[in-house]
Amino acid sequence: MELKTLIGRAKRGLREELRLYLVAISSLSVAFLCVAGALLALTNLSALAERWGESARMTVYLRDGAQAADVAQLRVVLESLPEVRAVEELTAEDARALFLQHAEVSADLAALPPEVFPPSLELSLATGTDPSRIDAMAARVAQLRAVEDVETYRGWFDRLESLLSAGRGLAGALALLVALCVLAVIGNTIRLAVARRRDEIEVLKLCGATDAFVRGPFVVEGTFQGFAAAALAVLVLFFGFLALRGELDASLAALTGIRAAFLQPWMLVALIFGGAFIGAMGSALSLRRYLTV
Amino acid sequence: MARGSDGKVVRPFAFFRAGAQQDSRANRPILVFEDVYKYFRKDQPTLRGVNLVIERGEFCFVTGPSGAGKSTLLQLVYRKHTVDAGRIRFAGRDVARLKSSSIPFLRRNLGIVFQDFKVVKHWTVYENVAVALEILDMPPRLVRARVAEALERVGLAGRGGDRTEGLSGGEQQRVAVARAIVTEPALILADEPTGNLDPHLAIDILTLFEEIHATGTTVLFATHDHSLIGKRDHRIIALDDGRVLEARTGLRSWPGAGESKPPTHEGSGLRVVAG
Ligand SMILES: Nc1ncnc2c1ncn2[C@@H]1O[C@H](COP(=O)(O)OP(=O)(O)O)[C@@H](O)[C@H]1O
Ligand SMILES: [Mg+2]
Repeated sequence: MELKTLIGRAKRGLREELRLYLVAISSLSVAFLCVAGALLALTNLSALAERWGESARMTVYLRDGAQAADVAQLRVVLESLPEVRAVEELTAEDARALFLQHAEVSADLAALPPEVFPPSLELSLATGTDPSRIDAMAARVAQLRAVEDVETYRGWFDRLESLLSAGRGLAGALALLVALCVLAVIGNTIRLAVARRRDEIEVLKLCGATDAFVRGPFVVEGTFQGFAAAALAVLVLFFGFLALRGELDASLAALTGIRAAFLQPWMLVALIFGGAFIGAMGSALSLRRYLTV
Repeated sequence: MARGSDGKVVRPFAFFRAGAQQDSRANRPILVFEDVYKYFRKDQPTLRGVNLVIERGEFCFVTGPSGAGKSTLLQLVYRKHTVDAGRIRFAGRDVARLKSSSIPFLRRNLGIVFQDFKVVKHWTVYENVAVALEILDMPPRLVRARVAEALERVGLAGRGGDRTEGLSGGEQQRVAVARAIVTEPALILADEPTGNLDPHLAIDILTLFEEIHATGTTVLFATHDHSLIGKRDHRIIALDDGRVLEARTGLRSWPGAGESKPPTHEGSGLRVVAG
C-alpha cells in the first residue's frame, strides 16, 4: 500500500471526525493520567525505599542506670564491628531536644521530662549491609550489658516495602483496567467512524479495494488516538510535576532526604507507545467486528 | 498496462492472468452468461436461465420493466451477489467461483456507475476520482495526471478542487463516470445511470458513455427509459420476469414501435427466449 496515500487518507479521516476523536482523546488522556500518576508515585516511593535501604541505621537504647564506663566500653565494641560505620551518643536531653525540634509540638509535649527519652547510641551501618546480618548483629548487641533494647527499623523498612509491592500490584491492576477502557473507548469511536463513513466504504469496495486498504486508515486513526491520549497525559503530568516540585522538595525532601523525581525516560516511551499499541488493537478489534468487508 | 516511472506495474491484472489461456483471449467474448439462475426467494427466481454473450467493444442496453432483474444481472457480474445456478464468465473466468479475497481484483477491471451516483459528498471531485487509482497503489504523481485526464474526458476539466456536494446531479454523475473510466476498465456496468437526471441531462450522460465506448470499452447500460433507447441504435437486451425476452438492434424493431420486423438473433450463443 502506498504509505503516502494511507497517511493522507488517515489525515482526512482525522479531520472529518475531529470532534469525535478530540472527545475520545481527552477522556482517554484522563485514564492515562491515572496510570502515569500512579507510576510517578511508585517511582518516588521506590527511590525512598532504596534510600532507606542504603543508609541503614540502628539505635541501641541504653539501660536507665547504665554506667558511663559501660557505655564507653560498649561504644568501643560497637565501633569495632565491621558493619558499623559510625557511632554517635545521644543523651536523654539530646533526644528530647531533637524530638522537639523535628516535631514542632505544643507546650504540653515540650513539658515532657527528659526521662521519657532514653539515652541511646545511634549507629550508621555500612551501605548495602545484608538485612540478615543486621538482625544477627542486633541480637548479639541486645545481649550486652547496659543495653536495654535495639531498634533496627526493619519493621519500618518492611512496611514500606510491603506498601510498595501493594502499590505495584495496584498500579498493575489500574494499568490493566485503563488498557481495557482505552481498548473499549477507541473501539467504540472507530465503530462510530465506520458507521459515519458507510458511503465512503461502499465506494471503496465497489472500486476494488481490499480489506486491508479499507481498514488501514481506521487503524492509523485508532493508533493516533492512543498515542495522542498517552502523550497528552504525560505532558499534563510533567507540567503538574514542575508546578508542584518546589513545594514537594521543601516538605517531603526535608523529611525523607530524597528529591522528587519524574518518570524515567523508558517509562515515558513505554506509556506513549503502549497507548499507541492499545489504540491500534482497539481499532483492529472493532474493525473485525463492525467492518465486514 | 500503465506503469509508474519507476517501472512498477500499477494496473493489477492478476485477475486476467490467472487461469486465462493466452491464445484465444483477444477474440473471446468479454462476458458470457450461461444458464444463469438467481433466487432471492425459493419459489420465485429473479433470473431464470439467462444466456447472453457480450463481445468485446459492444455497447448494450439492458432494459425491461422495473423489477425485471436488470440490476441483479449487473450485480452478479461484479459479485455483489453470486449466481445460484449457471456460470458467468468475465474475460474467460467464472466469476461465481472467485474466492471473496479475489473479488476486489475482479472489480478493478470493471467500472460501475449507479443511478444514485455513489460519490462521496464531502470529498472533492478530485478525491472521488483519485480513489479508484489509489486503490491500485498508483504513485500520487501519476494519479494526478490520470485524474486530470479523466475529468477532461467527462467535461469537468479544472473542477477537481470543487466539493462534490455542491455539484448538480448531472455533474455528480460525471464525477462517477470519471471514477469508473479512470482505471481504463475493460467493461463498464451502468445501472440506470440517467434515472435521477432530467431528460436532456440523460442524453448528455448517454452520449458520454458512447464516447467512452468509442475508445474501445465495452459498456452495459441498464435503463428502463424507452425514450432514451429509442434515440440510439445499440444492441438491446430486454429482460422480463427474469428471462431474456428480446435481443434486437435498435428501437425500430422494438415491439410496439410501429414496425414489426422478425427478431434478429445476435452473436453466437445468444438464445432468444420468446415471451
Ligand atoms: N437483495 C435482494 N434481496 C431480495 N430480493 C431482491 C434483491 N435484489 C433484487 N431483488 C428482487 O429481484 C427482483 C429484480 O430486482 P432488480 O434486479 O432490482 O430489478 P430491476 O433493476 O430490473 O428493476 C425484484 O423483484 C426484487 O424484489
Ligand atoms: Mg434496478
